[in-house]
Amino acid sequence: MKSPLWSNVFKNWNSQESEKVTALKHVPVFDGLSDKELVEIEKLTHERTYQSGEHVFKNKAPSEGMFIIISGSVEIYLENAGDKNILAELNDRDFFGEIALLDTEPRSAGAIATTPSTLLGFFRPDLLSLMERNPALSSKILTNLGAVLAERLRKTNELLPKSDD
Amino acid sequence: MDKQKNYIQLIYRLMVGLLSIGFLYVIWPYISSVLLMLVFAFLFTTVLLSSVDTLERKIRNRGISVLAVTVGLIAAISIFIGSFATNLADQAGDFSQRLETESFMDDFNSFIDNTKAKLPDFAKGAGDDVDAASKLNEVVGNLMSTLLTFAGALGSFVFNMIMVIIFTIILLLNYHQFKKSLVGFIPNKYFEVGLRLIFNIEQQVSNYLRGQLLAATSVAIMSIIGLYILNFFGANLTLVIFIGIIAGLANLIPLVGPFIGMLIAFAVALMNNLGNEAAQAHMMFNAIPSPFYILDVALMFIIVQQIDNNFITPLLVGESVGLHPIMVMIALLIGGTLIGPMGMLFAVPAAGIIKVIGHEISFVTKNAHLL
Repeated sequence: MKSPLWSNVFKNWNSQESEKVTALKHVPVFDGLSDKELVEIEKLTHERTYQSGEHVFKNKAPSEGMFIIISGSVEIYLENAGDKNILAELNDRDFFGEIALLDTEPRSAGAIATTPSTLLGFFRPDLLSLMERNPALSSKILTNLGAVLAERLRKTNELLPKSDD
Repeated sequence: MDKQKNYIQLIYRLMVGLLSIGFLYVIWPYISSVLLMLVFAFLFTTVLLSSVDTLERKIRNRGISVLAVTVGLIAAISIFIGSFATNLADQAGDFSQRLETESFMDDFNSFIDNTKAKLPDFAKGAGDDVDAASKLNEVVGNLMSTLLTFAGALGSFVFNMIMVIIFTIILLLNYHQFKKSLVGFIPNKYFEVGLRLIFNIEQQVSNYLRGQLLAATSVAIMSIIGLYILNFFGANLTLVIFIGIIAGLANLIPLVGPFIGMLIAFAVALMNNLGNEAAQAHMMFNAIPSPFYILDVALMFIIVQQIDNNFITPLLVGESVGLHPIMVMIALLIGGTLIGPMGMLFAVPAAGIIKVIGHEISFVTKNAHLL
């Protein structure tokens, strides 16, 4: 039988990582971060729940940061003269809105929850305060963010000749 | 129909607003002291938060980090106050011994006679029937009774300080959780705007405090240098570093603060130079009578204030709050009228916070369709 004393002493050894940390591990922006660093990031995130059909943000709305889907699904869309153009349908552990971590421009598309969803928000004010408190960790995140955006730019460049055709 | 509905809504909002203000007015006497304690605790937390966070990252324990930072700060303040009080008590003891000797009374009376002789003719008759030395005794007696009242006030101050320290420790321990809980109350619709508002308020307060602390440090250093320069010319001032630090800290209170350091320097100049013929007959710039170097001390503090007001504060504090000087003056007057010197201390950051909130409300109103 396991002694309660030892199980208390070593309670953190086999502790299950939280659902939020697991979700963060799947986001390229947090690639290469140690478990301790991910726990520090988890402390900065905000969990929000959305009803089906509720806007996460509207197009042109002020932007403050990115969202990671813990559970549920979110539709990214653009609306032109009443016509809704769906750009992407995102599910568990997908992320969106990461450009807002870098600039203060309004959102370039809208996001709406299509099922009851739980999202994890990571916002620019928290990244800025992290830059003051832990520059090493924040520079890892910024490098990853740069890599994500570079990858996206590369893909866009690859698509350009096709659209010219 | 819609217009009528809008009017009804407006009247309803006005009534709710007026009722809230009335309610606040009624309960204000009961909650003002606690609120003031919380405001102080919040300000201390803002100043200490980055040190606690940095230490926590190194030792991986928030509780010990908070304890180390607060104990360190309390120890530093206690050592400063203790050392200042001991030095001041020694000086006061020495002064009271001199006060009891006959020769001092003669010195003091001769100083008063000399001063009267220098007065213009029309002012010479004033106060002839008063014995200056007995008047001084009376003043010292009054000072003692004032000190007893001060001791009572000190008890209440110590209690308030202990409460502020407890609130600060609790806030430091749970700051990030408190902030998260506060953010949790923001509806999804206003979430990002709310986050930005909280961040801007934090920035406003922290920039203001950082600017003020730097300005206070520079005033302290300039005062210390100024007092040493006066000593070089024979002012015989002691407790120079203490006076400088107090002048710097008092500088945090706008308008009134700068005079506090000056008054302490006056008292020290008077205590040290009584009985010193040369100090009594001192002439500033060999032209203006300045007994006990009083005018020299005043001039030095005025110069320090001018440098601070015209160069240092606008550079370090003014831009951080982003308020027009007239708004700063109005805020100071309102703060001073409402809560006294403490109100003046908080008036500028409070006005800055109100400006940030006003800016965000205006943004939300203009962009309501996007939220």
